Amino acid sequence: MSSSSSHPVALITGITGQDGSYLAELLLEKGYEVHGIVRRTSNISRLRIDSIRLDPALHGKRFFLHYSDLIDATTLRKIFIKVRPTEFYHLAGQSHVGLSFEIPESTCHEIASATLGILEICRDLDYPIRMYHAASSEIFGAAENFPQTEQTPYRPTSPYGCAKAFAAQLCDVYRASYQMFICNGILYNHESPRRGENFVTRKIVRQAAKIKAGLDHELILGNLESQRDWGHARDYVQAMWMMLQHSKPDNYIVSTGNLHSVQDWVRIAFEHLDLDWTKYVKSSESLMRPQEPTRLLGNPTHIQKTLGWKPQIPFEKMVAEMVESDLKQIQNH
Amino acid sequence: MPPNVATTRKVALITGITGQDGSYLTELLFEKGYEVHGIVRKTSNVNRLRAYTPHAKLHYSDLADSCAIRRIFNQVRPSEFYHLAGQSHVGYSFEIPQSTYQEIAISTLGILEICRDLDYPIRFYHAASSEVFGASQNPPQNEETPFRPTSPYGCAKTFATNLCNTYRQSYQMHICNGILFNHESPRRGSNYVAGKIADYAVKIKLGLESELTLAAWETTRDWGHAQDYVQAMWLMLQHETPDNYVVSSGKAHRLLDWVEIMFGRLDLDWKKYVKVSDSEFRPQEPGQLIGDSSKARTVLGWDPQISFEKMALEIVDSYYQKALKQS
Repeated sequence: MSSSSSHPVALITGITGQDGSYLAELLLEKGYEVHGIVRRTSNISRLRIDSIRLDPALHGKRFFLHYSDLIDATTLRKIFIKVRPTEFYHLAGQSHVGLSFEIPESTCHEIASATLGILEICRDLDYPIRMYHAASSEIFGAAENFPQTEQTPYRPTSPYGCAKAFAAQLCDVYRASYQMFICNGILYNHESPRRGENFVTRKIVRQAAKIKAGLDHELILGNLESQRDWGHARDYVQAMWMMLQHSKPDNYIVSTGNLHSVQDWVRIAFEHLDLDWTKYVKSSESLMRPQEPTRLLGNPTHIQKTLGWKPQIPFEKMVAEMVESDLKQIQNH
Repeated sequence: MPPNVATTRKVALITGITGQDGSYLTELLFEKGYEVHGIVRKTSNVNRLRAYTPHAKLHYSDLADSCAIRRIFNQVRPSEFYHLAGQSHVGYSFEIPQSTYQEIAISTLGILEICRDLDYPIRFYHAASSEVFGASQNPPQNEETPFRPTSPYGCAKTFATNLCNTYRQSYQMHICNGILFNHESPRRGSNYVAGKIADYAVKIKLGLESELTLAAWETTRDWGHAQDYVQAMWLMLQHETPDNYVVSSGKAHRLLDWVEIMFGRLDLDWKKYVKVSDSEFRPQEPGQLIGDSSKARTVLGWDPQISFEKMALEIVDSYYQKALKQS
């Protein structure tokens, strides 16, 4: 199972998540041996990687899962030493911004403490590893500049954003201090049919599908005017991989460069199902965040020019894909 | 207790009370009529030489023990809370990044959560640091300068400062970040550069050492006196509106300035004893850190009294007196 010259070896945290599952598929396609770190829970849900896990040609041959909690530094170190990954993708961590106001301590442990522990492990390795860190546009928070670039100062406005800013800055410090190959991917919101149901985008498409199927009659949302730069997760994992193939490590904004509102999601999702959204959608104060970041719009010029990355899936197509997927799931039940 | 208890009682709780800043702050608050409580760590080797204030009430807790800290808050019900504790040596933070981070960032988050749950409005001072600026290009730095830390210490302080901003804005809490530039005094340890220079100058004077090796000779820093700086902490919490403040002298000094004054005080020709090395360079040195404290001076009326030269003389004199007593 140790690394050989015949194929590259990738290790992924957060492999059961939206991004991890797309990334695993991409790397397997490219001939990688893929290892994932999963947490031990009594309630196993690995739906997003089932197609890989249940494939006898892959599982145990080019695809492996290892148990560890993110803050279990001893176990993580053992996994690194055993697997000897050439590329490491650190995607794990509580990823819901709103929830981070309710559970700030565990959010910060999973994001900040875990990243620091992993950087220390990688610093001690006896070979040069390439590390990808999943930073986030939430580090910009109340940024004054619009759109944001890699030079925009970090002004996070949520515990999630604070923890991600810390982890990203720490990656910068380790890269500069120890000449390590570490890239921060500053990803803007990215969605897909695999997005968790507690995210607003998935909530909209799922509820629209339920209303279409006659299983529900309304959709309650927070601020409909909220705007974000939304792309497709499958495009964004391509960017992660490209960062680690470049000769020099750097930070990259990954975004579409286009703004859409929550209302755009509602309109396109409902129209796709021939429904008049104004009949079903209500706005509620209780779903507003304590503090909304200002307009988060990313300027992806650096990654486009340096790595030649370009997103392939347009916004409308992404919304339609998600609606279709949820409709199919509901009909199959 | 009536709900406005916090505004009528003058009760302060301090973490890091045994440190340089904590000890000066305790003295200041006593003078002003406060009841002062401090949180101290249980260690087998008690060293509280700097707490010159026998009247402070000390409570045991580790910073990471949020249950114990919550109990102390509920028992003391401080009207003002000064959070000064944490591993404070930037160079060491490259060697012990995880404990540095735990002490600085995680403990601050735990305390913010405790304060968020209190049933009365507390005023919270957080000891941020000029190290949050790190690689900021343009001195002088002020409250609007972006944070670009270059050490694990700086990253942890940035994290804690950002959290304080988030809690202030999200929950309307009275939280102030004091972005203090380097501040020294006779009470600072000799593992910091001013104390190290004083320590060696005295030992050379007494024939106990023959030379002093200094790294980062070209570094310039903005150094003030801790006694002046704790005044700024207190002033922040007296202002109606919580905010962030840079606290600094605004003047750039070199290591040479310390060396000249301290060796000169002992009638030593420093050129004979001081060697410059690059062996102790940090993996990544921050850029030029010079603070613009005009906001603290204008809004709070902060008015530092102790000049660089007076501070350098006080430190070297103190080391000399101590050495004479020991010999």
